[in-house]
Amino acid sequence: METVERKPKSTPILHYIFGAPPVPGEDVVERYSRPVRILHWVNAVAWIVLFITGLLFFVPQFSGAAVGGWSGLFHRIAAVVMVGWAALYFVTSPRSALSAVREAFKWGRDDIGWLQAAPSYYMLGGEDTMPPQDHMNTGQKLWWLTVLGAGALMILTGALMWFFKGIIPSGAFMWSAFFHDVGFIALLTFGLVHVYLSAFHPKMRGIFWSMWGGKVSAKYAESHHKKWYDKVTKE
Amino acid sequence: MADKAILYDATKCTACRGCQVACKQWNDLPGELTTNRGTYENPPDLSANTWLKMRFTEIGDTPENLRWLFARRACMHCTDAACVEVCPTKALYHHELGFVAYKRELCTGCGYCVEACPFDVPRSGGGGAGTVHGVRTMSKCILCEDRITNGEEPACVKTCPTGALTYGDRSDLLADGQARVASLKSTYPNAYLYGEKELNGLHVLYVLDDTPEVYGLPANPQIPVAATVWQDVLQPVGWGLAGLVALGLGLNYVIARRKIKINSEEE
Repeated sequence: METVERKPKSTPILHYIFGAPPVPGEDVVERYSRPVRILHWVNAVAWIVLFITGLLFFVPQFSGAAVGGWSGLFHRIAAVVMVGWAALYFVTSPRSALSAVREAFKWGRDDIGWLQAAPSYYMLGGEDTMPPQDHMNTGQKLWWLTVLGAGALMILTGALMWFFKGIIPSGAFMWSAFFHDVGFIALLTFGLVHVYLSAFHPKMRGIFWSMWGGKVSAKYAESHHKKWYDKVTKE
Repeated sequence: MADKAILYDATKCTACRGCQVACKQWNDLPGELTTNRGTYENPPDLSANTWLKMRFTEIGDTPENLRWLFARRACMHCTDAACVEVCPTKALYHHELGFVAYKRELCTGCGYCVEACPFDVPRSGGGGAGTVHGVRTMSKCILCEDRITNGEEPACVKTCPTGALTYGDRSDLLADGQARVASLKSTYPNAYLYGEKELNGLHVLYVLDDTPEVYGLPANPQIPVAATVWQDVLQPVGWGLAGLVALGLGLNYVIARRKIKINSEEE
């Protein structure tokens, strides 16, 4: 038997975790503009801060960290950053913001097809029954709708508890806390799915980097977002 | 251990407010600067530094039918306590002696108890005000925990000169209160022992010569529905849902990785 001495190919740890980005020279398509990417990451960081500081309230073992209200302060700062940045984006790029919102509500036959094909597609990788998808596939639209809906709910109930404590009846305050938790559960559960599908699912390897560099390989765009791919390559 | 309680007999109270002073003295709570509002009732409301106060109620508009009623305002130490139910960090809890105690170091100052209490008792603002973050911890009567766990009666009871306040085993006080109400019934047909059944039993019992409403007490105090569905329904559902999703995603990863690898090898 012959042994061949081979140098192990080194992979940057992040490529190991998230999959590799498009390789140099590969055909790519721009998927997310720079302002969108910044918005996403500001939002993500604020979300994590809000998540942790909010959670401290509910886990007695962690409440030591919440004592004195410092977690509440960071919760509020993160909320202001999150809402403020989204508002800033809306004001500076009203056109793309509006079209992005509209995208969430654009539903058609292929969305029904997606819902039917999704279990086999995401479990077994069966692509045959998956209808072509636009810039956002149905699952992404569902997540986007959750973000918009639950986000509005969080802002409304959060503002009520922050600014109107003692002014609104205690029943209204208690229900605000209740629905703030409803929004939290929605965003947490769907958020887990979002992070998993966009960073760890075997069929989505490497797609994480599209929110970093903005580009996806043409191959990926064609196989995952055929309708959108056809539109952008026609231009 | 047997539940302890305070029995307040409104018919024996002269509203001398010695209990208010004793409470502040024992618990080292500073006095409050107030203004004359044309009543002996003072301070006007409970606060983080006022855990106990007497409420004065005037009923009737002629000297003949005028009634001047006094009612004790402090934590009722409910068995079904909305504040305990709603407290996210379990800072509020039932002491083994039955009353509602709290660990200040666990209080985050969220203020949910302030909103949930059907008697409007807990107050935010204790434990040093956080001026930067604007959050202050909750404060309320602790039934002189440090005294009663050492065999002493609460400061308010100790100081009461008319015997309107008594302290002891809840079962004994319940019997005393029932006997007193029974003897009052002939003169005051509406006489009532408040706290016997309310919220599954309060640890402050009131002998009243009239209906609770007349004394400014809620006739049928309840834990707010929002607090119950939040803590008993939504929270377990939320944890369960998050767990299920995490489990499902993990399963998906294991299956999808194998299947997709096989599929791509077949191609």
